[in-house]
Amino acid sequence: MDAFVLPDLGEGLTEAEIVSWHVRVGDIVAVDQEVVEVETAKAVVAIPVPFAGRVAELHARPGDLLAVGDPLITVSNDRAESGADGESGNVLIGYGTTAARPGRRRPAKHEPSMLSTERPAGSNGRVPVVSPIVRRLARNAGLDLASIRGSGRDGLVTRQDVENAIGVRETVRTGPPAGGAEQVTRTPLQGIRKVTADKLSRSRREIPEATVWVDADATELLHLRASLNADDAEPKISLLALLSRFAILGLRRHPELNAKVEDGVIVTGSAVHLGFAAQTDRGLLVPVLVGAQACTLEQLSVALADSTLRARQGTLGPAELTGGTFTINNYGVFGVDGSAAIINHPEVAILGIGRIIERPWIVHGQVAARQLTQLTLAFDHRVCDGQTAGGFLRFVADCVESPARVLRYL
Amino acid sequence: MTTTAEQDRALAAGQAVTMAGALNQALSDALSEDDTVLVFGEDVATLGGVFRITSGLAEAFGQTRVFDTPLAESGIVGTAIGMAMNGLRPVVEMQFDAFAYPAFEQITSHLAKLRNRTRGRVELPIVIRIPYGGGIGGVEHHCDSSEAYYTHTPGLRVVTPGTPADAYVLLRQAIKSPDPVIFLEPKRRYWSSEVVSAQADVPLDRAVVRRSGSDVTLITYGGALATTLEAAEADDRSAEVIDLRSLAPFDDETVIASVKRTGRAIVVHEASRFCGYGAEVAARVSEQCFHYLEAPVLRVAGFDIPYPPPSLEEYHLPNVDRILAAIDRLQWRETASVVQAAG
Amino acid sequence: MATSPMTPECLLPGPTPVALLDAAGQAIPGDSLDMPGDQVLLALYRMMVLGRRFDTQAIALTKQGRLAVYPSARGQEACQVGAVAALRPQDWLFPTYRDSIALVARGVDPVQVLTLLRGEWHSGYDPYDLRVAPQCTPLATNTLHAVGMARAAAIKGEDMVALVMLGDGATSEGDTHEALNFAAVWKAPVVFLVQNNGYAISVPLAKQTAAPSLAHKGIGYGVPGTLVDGNDAAAVYAVVRRAVTAAAAGAGPALIEALTYRVEAHTNADDATRYRSREEVDSWLARDPVTRLGEHLGRRGLLAAAAVAALEAQAEAEAAALRQRMNSGTRPDPADLFRYVYAKRTPELRRQQHELAAELADLEEAGNPS
Repeated sequence: MDAFVLPDLGEGLTEAEIVSWHVRVGDIVAVDQEVVEVETAKAVVAIPVPFAGRVAELHARPGDLLAVGDPLITVSNDRAESGADGESGNVLIGYGTTAARPGRRRPAKHEPSMLSTERPAGSNGRVPVVSPIVRRLARNAGLDLASIRGSGRDGLVTRQDVENAIGVRETVRTGPPAGGAEQVTRTPLQGIRKVTADKLSRSRREIPEATVWVDADATELLHLRASLNADDAEPKISLLALLSRFAILGLRRHPELNAKVEDGVIVTGSAVHLGFAAQTDRGLLVPVLVGAQACTLEQLSVALADSTLRARQGTLGPAELTGGTFTINNYGVFGVDGSAAIINHPEVAILGIGRIIERPWIVHGQVAARQLTQLTLAFDHRVCDGQTAGGFLRFVADCVESPARVLRYL
Repeated sequence: MTTTAEQDRALAAGQAVTMAGALNQALSDALSEDDTVLVFGEDVATLGGVFRITSGLAEAFGQTRVFDTPLAESGIVGTAIGMAMNGLRPVVEMQFDAFAYPAFEQITSHLAKLRNRTRGRVELPIVIRIPYGGGIGGVEHHCDSSEAYYTHTPGLRVVTPGTPADAYVLLRQAIKSPDPVIFLEPKRRYWSSEVVSAQADVPLDRAVVRRSGSDVTLITYGGALATTLEAAEADDRSAEVIDLRSLAPFDDETVIASVKRTGRAIVVHEASRFCGYGAEVAARVSEQCFHYLEAPVLRVAGFDIPYPPPSLEEYHLPNVDRILAAIDRLQWRETASVVQAAG
Repeated sequence: MATSPMTPECLLPGPTPVALLDAAGQAIPGDSLDMPGDQVLLALYRMMVLGRRFDTQAIALTKQGRLAVYPSARGQEACQVGAVAALRPQDWLFPTYRDSIALVARGVDPVQVLTLLRGEWHSGYDPYDLRVAPQCTPLATNTLHAVGMARAAAIKGEDMVALVMLGDGATSEGDTHEALNFAAVWKAPVVFLVQNNGYAISVPLAKQTAAPSLAHKGIGYGVPGTLVDGNDAAAVYAVVRRAVTAAAAGAGPALIEALTYRVEAHTNADDATRYRSREEVDSWLARDPVTRLGEHLGRRGLLAAAAVAALEAQAEAEAAALRQRMNSGTRPDPADLFRYVYAKRTPELRRQQHELAAELADLEEAGNPS
């Protein structure tokens, strides 16, 4: 129990009259809480109580005159009794403990974590991987660690395990042994192969596509390219780069083809993130050149060559394999003319070029041997019609046949 | 008092110097260049110090500036604080690591805190020189490694030289620093010598790569530096050796850049492992290099025992073999690429 | 410079405490110590009255929760004021956490005196302004700082004396022993003023030492010890003045034990009834130092009623001003936590400062007052 006496209010007073109480017996009071008003010769003063606890007794009534030092209010500071907060009150060397301030909890910020969450490995929980860097390698390749059998101690997944799963080693099929039974090889669709398979299936499943194709006389283009590449000191301009540049110009005229369909919405952007199909030992990859519309022909050529090399080396990062808005496919390198290509979901069109070979063509009313190629455009018919698709393909074909005209659009 | 000495003294390139000699010269040069510098402690004046680090200084600079004190470590540090408050620059000696403990309160409650306590008005540019570490067959209490107590105290700088030439540089810089510095001298290296090459003026709070490498980063300091370099030479992998020099503050930049390149790190120190300085280094490296690591960060340290008697000291101190064994445990096989593994 | 070596006996205090005024304020005739001049006595009285009012106000502020803790010096005004008045401007004062009245007497802004006790920062004033070291919380550690300060002054050829205040409990600490020893060996110009107020929190002197008096301890170091009536402001002043003068002249350190009494508990949160009797406290209240000097001055006609009234009015005014100024809350900038750890913030501290700033910004954003 603490009795608080009328303090010296600092005005030389010896007594004060109680004006009014702010609390009643039984109230819980906190340190410094104003509990009473008293009147001195000069003013009405509110007095804070220096203890916390439950008011046990008020020692005077309004109108009573108290002398300095007379008991004013008694507060019970027994914690169990008063139900106070478990605060210590003043300790020898400081303020003591205080009740926790309300509302200090930070609102949870759901920042994307740097490490994406992994699926637990079956019922065992987290898969032990030899090092963080190898774990990340697996994640970037889209591997389900649970499907990898770790060859290290206690099932530790090693770097080789991850690389094998990604498919660095080629699966070699063995032929039937001499005079033996049929050999059957089972290769699960895994890793990159699986990712690609899923994407292709989805594309065919979701997109109502149509294809237009046209033959184009590439003779002049090849001459132009040869003269561009005459100077050994300059970077070589590739056919793919030329086609890419024409496609970009075509997309400027037909921007609806530079789009993606996401959740029933056609998303069209001003930038062209150009993907191109690259065949590698690990399967089909589609590196993306971000912001290709801002590149010169030379820059495109260099970037394409670099991306191709890195795709084959397996050093492309995830950012370089996603986010495309349009894809180009040079299947001519396989020695075929045409292809009803599968659109690179969720894009809306894919441009293809076949092999370039000498064929008979009519030039100025005469049959002549020209370098001919076939261009194809597979497109999402929900997004545009034959007029757009045909218009785009015709434009690209015109660029191929008369490359000098392209200057108009630069 | 007037200052007439030339500024910017340094060790001469081509000069052969022991660590003891380098420290002695550093003190001498500091006393010459700045007449607010004092050197005091037990036996430092007439005797020149039990390790002769302060030899000749009292003769050269007089017993007002270089003097012996009564045998009282708290007194030495406490009075140094008062002197620094009055504008002097004391460089005091604690005779051995364990004998600095009586001064612990003055060091942690006052030396480390007075600047902060007075919001920068009081500055204590004091250097406390402490010979530390083992490897000299010393009896009890003469071979402790107490760096963790001081590095854990905010407000102190803790530095330790690993080479003779660097001992000169670090001590000169420590004396010039406006902050209090605990200067830990690896006593086992007092007599090792080197020929001074041209010295880069590395700042007081920076680490130095003593040996470049690409396969693993060995992080160490003070007395363990020489042993670590020996291990690096002996290993057929390419080991990078970093001499921390400054234990507090810590040079994150140099260390992290190295480990990000090598992907593997080991900390080597004499002090016992549990809650030793290496724990902080390992935590920092793990935190900041996590995605670049091929293996956990290991520590090669003394056992968690009071420092052994001379007869058993060799089993306690990190040696070349132990460091090499630790390097071997860094998951080389399990993290090798298929190409490497096959080849 | 004193040339005759002191005999051991000279180092011992006299058989009774030195005093100039008796309990009723009458001058005690004697020739060992000179009574201070009238102006000095009036100044002492004035500072004691103002100091007491400050102390009382601080106690009240603590009860109001405006200070975290207040170790009162009530009853020790003669020691606090007498000692400080004996210092010259160029001398240094090394106080403990209890010596608030001494600080105010020295001229430190009362609000800054209370910065530590209010919990705003660890020290509120610039030590170099009035040559007052920060209030020392650990016991006896400041004795060594004072010795170092004085030694440096001697080395630099400065005319300066350091006065360090310590309590009876602090004389048991090792640092006190080391400081007296260093000071004596160096003949440093330090005056050690032990305010023996009878208690170290709850531990009485009898449990603290078996020495005949604390002043007797000086002989062990070769330091002259003086025992003085700590409630006799005139005597305290005279003794300290004598020691300061001697130290300034190169005589070396002095140990002064002032017998006084800690009227209040150790701090506001201490319950002194648990270890001492009401009678004991009352007996010391009857020997009030302020009353004693006041009666002396009154008897000699140096203190008119009007002057007393004016002084009390000033005390009230200062107390009111203090209350007023303490009402304005000053919370330090959390960034200050990182600013003064080293001469220059390290990269790590800069990072941690930003971390805290971001935390606080989040809280503010979420609508929580930080």
